Parts: sequence; structure tokens; C-alpha cells
Amino acid sequence: MQDHSNNSELKPIGQRSSSWKAPFSNIFVIKENRFLMKNMVGSTVRGRYRNSMLGYLWSVLEPLLLSLVYYFLFNMLAGNPDRLYGVWVLIGVIIWSTFGRTVTGTISSLSSNKGIINLIYFPRVIFPVSLMFSNIILSLMSCIVIFPILFAYGVEPTVYLLYIPLAVFASGFLGIGIGMIFAPLNCIQKDVEHLFRFIVRAGFFFSPVMWTYEMALARGTFSGALLSLNPMVTPITLARHGFAGHSTTLPIFSLVYCFSFAVIMWIFGSMVFNRYERQAVKYL
Amino acid sequence: MSETVIKLNNISLDYPKHKHILSLLLNKIKEKHQTFSALRDINLEIKKGEIIGIIGNNGCGKSTLLRIIAGIIPPNEGECLVAGKISLLAGLGTGFSNHQTGRENAMLYGSILGYSESQMTKIMPLIIEFSGLQEFIEEPLRTYSAGMKARLGLAVASAIEPEILLIDEVLGVGDPNFKEKSTNRIMEMVNDAGTVVIVSHSFGMLSNVCDRIVLMEKGKIYSVGDPKEVIKQYYQLDKW
Repeated sequence: MQDHSNNSELKPIGQRSSSWKAPFSNIFVIKENRFLMKNMVGSTVRGRYRNSMLGYLWSVLEPLLLSLVYYFLFNMLAGNPDRLYGVWVLIGVIIWSTFGRTVTGTISSLSSNKGIINLIYFPRVIFPVSLMFSNIILSLMSCIVIFPILFAYGVEPTVYLLYIPLAVFASGFLGIGIGMIFAPLNCIQKDVEHLFRFIVRAGFFFSPVMWTYEMALARGTFSGALLSLNPMVTPITLARHGFAGHSTTLPIFSLVYCFSFAVIMWIFGSMVFNRYERQAVKYL
Repeated sequence: MSETVIKLNNISLDYPKHKHILSLLLNKIKEKHQTFSALRDINLEIKKGEIIGIIGNNGCGKSTLLRIIAGIIPPNEGECLVAGKISLLAGLGTGFSNHQTGRENAMLYGSILGYSESQMTKIMPLIIEFSGLQEFIEEPLRTYSAGMKARLGLAVASAIEPEILLIDEVLGVGDPNFKEKSTNRIMEMVNDAGTVVIVSHSFGMLSNVCDRIVLMEKGKIYSVGDPKEVIKQYYQLDKW
């Protein structure tokens, strides 16, 4: 569509690059359609808290209230854990919800944009990608709440605070890759969407949202080893270390594992998405 | 002059009958495909500068054919060759969101239709003028009436200058005044665009503007030719 080449040669319509090139061609597509993405992201961000008095304040209130609940719950069950426990939960909730919303949103990105898909063609990878960016922006807005908390606890802001946006990006990127694998399938049957809503909810407890990496390590080597298989451990823990203001104590393995997991998911997700998206759209 | 701009070679399209993952798997195993065919062996060549009308009963595959030409759905068999920039005019105001202002919606819709940012800022005053919304453009869309939304949709969509224009039943929206304005605008677009394919039920308009008319029946092309002839055939077909 953005092709302004003025040749009048007959070309097959809707030809795509081969699946192998998809992970790279998708990045190119995103770059080409920046203006469209900007408008779609703007629409989603503005739409999330529409018709509410508090508006964007909800992006801060939502994780704050949720962590308050967990804070009291945990205090009742396990006694007073850590001075900063409340903050750890808050960071965990923000990072996890970036991931969760991106996974579920990406999975339903084709079926929920049915109207547009049936009327015009543009590379459909734009739907999940713009959704991911909207989630990242909303999460970064939630992160603003961290600054007053820094003051309240008397923690010196350091350059390691940059870990937090990095973690938000990483969790969004992890989410989109996983979601894109299942998005075409969700056009055929909505069960995928419902199943993943459950998986995200369950994953909340299996990831260090209510607990921390350090707590799990204290339980012995077994839980430590089990923990290293969950790619979401790294972004959440990284953000917490960023708040605490020290370089991360995560083993190199965890960082490499998380990074390669996300990249492999993106490659695999792009390949599946680009290959099946056009056939799947018929089911909409 | 008379070069081909759209070429459909043996296009066939099947729609899946069952919406079940299980039956999909069963089909794979049994190698039996439970599908219904929406289009069968469509062959059509459209030359540059032609205005083609497509008519037929509901569900005969007219809109599906346009969607194949626009690249929205891939055919199961055959190929569709196209030369030039294509634009499908259907369902005006797709992707409009109620919580955004008219201007934001126009920007979004414009970018969906493939405008660049610079093009969009350039045509924005024209869009506001044509839609007649004036200061309402800064109000959220939920305050708009249905007619105002349609006007905004058409104003954005009609600002395109495609080489090939596909129109799917978008004529006649809004109040009588605007209806005339919109019909005129679409006719202007039809005249400006190199090649036009129109799906419509308004035979009067079609026989006036079209060079050829395609009559479709149950997913196949029944006949192609002179507008008056083909429209006559359509009424004979109906008597069956």
C-alpha cells in the first residue's frame, strides 16, 4: 500500500515474503508504517481509560490498589517479610501486567479487528505490534508512581532505574512473540483466547509477582533451578534491582536465557503469524 | 492505452464450512475438505481506464471478488494480477473509535487507507471543509450523529487518488443534500481514477457510467458485456 512505484506491470496481489524472512520483514513493515502505528497506538492508549473521571490516573491506581491487596494478604499469611515488600509487589504487578496484556491482546488482535481486516489490506502484523507498544506506554505511565515511592522510602535514585523501562520492554516483547503463535488459531476458535486468559492468571503465581527471586532462592537450590526456566523471572527481578539501585545479581544465564527466549518467540511467532494469518482471516 | 491492469486467472475461493479446530484436523486426516465454494473459475481482464460494474443477487460473490482484488483474502486457486495502486471503498469510517475526536479519527482512518503523515496534514483542511463539520471536528466522535460520521468517513476516503478504485455499495449515505454531494464526489473519483470496479444494485447509475457489466451467479461469472444487455439478462435470470 505504501508502494509508490509507478510501474504499470502486472504483479500478483498480496504476495508475501517467505516464512523464513518474516521475523526480519516484519521489522521492516513496522518501520514503513510508523504513521499508522502512531495513530493506532494513540487510539488504544486514549481508549483504555475513556469515560472515566480519573482517566490516566487509573494506570497508576490499578497496580497500586492491586499491590495493596497482596501486601495485606501476604502480611496476614507470612508475617512481615521485607521493608520494601509492598514496592516489590507493585513492580511485579506492573511488569507482569505488561506481559499478560500483551499476550492476551496479541492473541485476540486479529479477531478483535475483524471490521478493519475485512475492508482493507495492510500488513496485519501491525495489529499486535501497535498493541504491544500501547501496553508498553501505559505501563511506563504506571511506572511514574515509583518516583514518589523512592522518596517515601528514602531510596537514592540511581542510573539503575533504567532497568525498569528495560524490563517493561522485555516483558512486552516476550508477550508479543508468544501471542503471535496463537493469534491465527484464535480466529478459528476463541477457546485459545479463554485458555490463555487462564494461563496468564495462573502464571501470575508461578512468576515472582507476589514473591521475589531472593525469597525463592532462600528455599533451596531446587526452587532456584525451577525458577530459571521461567523467562518472566528476569524482567521482574531486573526491575526490582533497578529500584534498589544496584547492578543486578541475576546470573548471566538468566539474562541470556530470557533474551534468547524472547527472540526465539518473536522469530517463531512471526513465522507462524505471517504464514497462517491470511487463511485464518477467512474464518472471521 | 488498452493495457490490462487487473487480470484474474482461474480464481477459486473456498470458505471453510465448519468453524472447528477438530473438524479441521479431521479434514486433514481424511483429506476431505468440507468447504463451500464462494467463487469458481473466475476469469476476467480489466483494461486501463475501464469502468466495470458487478451485479448479481445477494451472496453471489460480488463483494468477495472485490476483496480478492484488494488483496484482503487470498484465493485458493488461481492468481490475481494487478498493476497500480489499489483502493477499496467500502464501509466508510471503518476503525472509527467513539472516544477520539473527529480529527484524531480522520488521522487514524487516513493512515489505515495508506496516507503518509505529510499527505494527511495537507488534506486535513479539505476533509474538514468537505465534511462540513467545522468546529465539530475537535469534538469526540460519540457526540456525532450517524450522518456526520458518514460524512467524515466519505471525506477521508474520497481524498485518495488511486489508480484503481474499487467501490462496494457506499453510495447514498446521509441526508438528501449530502447524498447528492457524496454521489457527485464519488462520480468525480470515478472519473479521476484510472480504472474503476463498482459493486452496486443501482442499475440506473451503473448503466450510465459503466463500460461493461459483469453478472455473477452462484460464485461464477454468468456473463460480461454491454451494460443494458447484461442488466436485461439479470432480470431473465431472476425469473428462473
